[in-house]
Amino acid sequence: MQAVESVLDSGRYVLGPEVKAFEQEFAEHCQSKFAIGVASGTCALHLVLRGLGLKEGDEVITAPNSFIASAATVALAGARPVFVDICEDGNLNPERLEDAINHRTRGIVPVHLTGRPAKMKEIMQIADRHDLFVLEDAAQSLGATLDGNHVGSWGDAACFSLHPLKNLHAFGDGGMVTSQNPDLVAHLAKSRNHGLADREQCDFWGFNCRLDEIQAAMLRVQLRRLDAWTHTRRTLAHRYNDLLRPYVNVPDEGPGEHCVFQTYVIKAERRDELKIFLNENGVEALVHYATPIHLQPAAADLGYTAEDFPVTMDHVGKIISLPLYPMLTHAQQDRVAELISFFYQNN
Amino acid sequence: MQVKYSYLDEQFADVEAYLQDLRKLVSTGEFTLGPFVEAFEKKFAAYIGVKHAIGTNTGTGALTLCLKAVGVKPGNEVITVANTFIASAGAIVAAGARPVFVDCDERYQIDVSKIEGALSPSTAAIMPVHWAGCSPEMDRVLEIADRHAIPVVEDSCPAVGASINGQSAGTFGRVNAFSMHPLKPLNVWGDGGIIVTNDDQAAAFLRLYQNHGLVDRDHVEFWGVNERLQPVQAVVASRVLDTIEDLVEARIRNARRLDAGLKGLENYITSPYRPEGYREVYQLYLATATRRDELLSFLVSRGIEAKVHYPIPIHLQNAARDLGYQRGSFPVCERQADEIITLPAHQHITDEQIDFIISVIHEFYGIH
Repeated sequence: MQAVESVLDSGRYVLGPEVKAFEQEFAEHCQSKFAIGVASGTCALHLVLRGLGLKEGDEVITAPNSFIASAATVALAGARPVFVDICEDGNLNPERLEDAINHRTRGIVPVHLTGRPAKMKEIMQIADRHDLFVLEDAAQSLGATLDGNHVGSWGDAACFSLHPLKNLHAFGDGGMVTSQNPDLVAHLAKSRNHGLADREQCDFWGFNCRLDEIQAAMLRVQLRRLDAWTHTRRTLAHRYNDLLRPYVNVPDEGPGEHCVFQTYVIKAERRDELKIFLNENGVEALVHYATPIHLQPAAADLGYTAEDFPVTMDHVGKIISLPLYPMLTHAQQDRVAELISFFYQNN
Repeated sequence: MQVKYSYLDEQFADVEAYLQDLRKLVSTGEFTLGPFVEAFEKKFAAYIGVKHAIGTNTGTGALTLCLKAVGVKPGNEVITVANTFIASAGAIVAAGARPVFVDCDERYQIDVSKIEGALSPSTAAIMPVHWAGCSPEMDRVLEIADRHAIPVVEDSCPAVGASINGQSAGTFGRVNAFSMHPLKPLNVWGDGGIIVTNDDQAAAFLRLYQNHGLVDRDHVEFWGVNERLQPVQAVVASRVLDTIEDLVEARIRNARRLDAGLKGLENYITSPYRPEGYREVYQLYLATATRRDELLSFLVSRGIEAKVHYPIPIHLQNAARDLGYQRGSFPVCERQADEIITLPAHQHITDEQIDFIISVIHEFYGIH
């Protein structure tokens, strides 16, 4: 509330000093040259895809098991979303990428789902070989690293969401783009603000997708606590892993991966029954996401079927997200583990 | 004496009530749509007198969504004016359509007699702007639109509280947009917008489209966007809405005092004709002045924060270069771009400040 009052005192509510300061602090935090604040994670993806100059008929490859916005923004930017299957870790399978690349392919949007980095080394090699852009959808993975390099520092640009359910969250919608490319960043600085170069001159048709000044003020306060929160999340996730390993498939970190566990997702047999059992016993277990994007009515025109991505379908039938947040107590975790253990031993 | 253009620090000088509302919001954790947004939408719909109000992240987003809701498709054309904020045209482009401009009249509003000349088989909507918080001749706009069976979308972004013979801006077209940007009559602490309509089908479409096309948490009906009103801003807007009538009346009072003060200067500076029955909210107090640039510098040098909205009409912006217009396309609009000036006339200006503005203008033109 103090942060909000300082904005009120200044009387500057739109793209003022708080947004600027937050952008600098966020860039430093991500080991990125530039960061630019926008209205939401969806806007971030959309503006970057527009900024990269997608044309009608272009194709962009992404994962089918993400939140809808990863693919919807490709469609909004005028291109066609193309999906490839995922690996056991829940992220894009680099080995499937080349099957989907053709002369219309312009880029790849790997998603670092649940806070786990995608296989960026392999993805970048393939992108370089085919001269494709890589836009990291890091909406769920601020702070995650792979071989010591932050997500968001691998591709041409990365998009982050600051939605209320994210690790670093606004009190409403917010998003960030990081990039090492000054031309792209200069474009975004205009495209988020009507294409305006200054108050009077409009260089190209843009949008209004600005990060709110008061959200930026509150986010700056939170950013200072983020590392501590992430540390707690990781500790709790590792503890869950040890408690639950006998019963379900747990999200162990792969070699070189430092995950931030935006969501804590296990893969469980008889998932639907387990979910009901947990819910009935007061545990808010959810499924992210029950219907993959390629099978949504929105994607009907793209021509995919339920047989297209077997690993995705296997995931979709087994995944379940357990409560994980910095304030979660060991007693609460033990209760969840006890219920899961009971479920599999007595059913 | 200082006369500031922005009044936000004064309007929100006493924030305790707002902060109490915000604390209540924070304690519920309802940060994505939810009850605070719904409550504000209901209250706003009742104020305007429509069935549906749908909050959006911005006024620009609201306009784009309105155009989508009336069926504007890529390749279509939408008719609007060139003397408005760039977002009016930007929203048309964002909807995939092409902006087609018509000239304005001496009230700075769309010249209705020019609309039919701009129609084509591709025209999918007419989007008049309530520019500066003043309504265009909506009955004539509607008559033309009805005759050609083309939907009207009101860009009423600057005009919460404006009306014609008691009928609110935002109730003439099929689906209509308001902005709640900090310098609009109904303002929030950042960006915000709101769409109003009586069309159930359009409202149902917009509720899905603004939230990723999500029917429920798991089902996506069509590709949508994230264009949600922030609950934080809904809470602020709700409290400001309680004061909107007082606030608009104060603006009207101040504008009348300025109008009266400019009497006798008709050879130098004039405010526009203000027809009977039109309630203006003076989001901008516009006047037409000779030696405008000199007057602007003189006012600013005396501490009066006058501005120009805007010196470059949209059809002459770099962004519009592919639309095929040039200088001379819209002579009234272009002349006004060189002559208009915006004087501070907001609700927190005192009579002394208005009299000071008037005396400085007299001094500039050498009239005593």
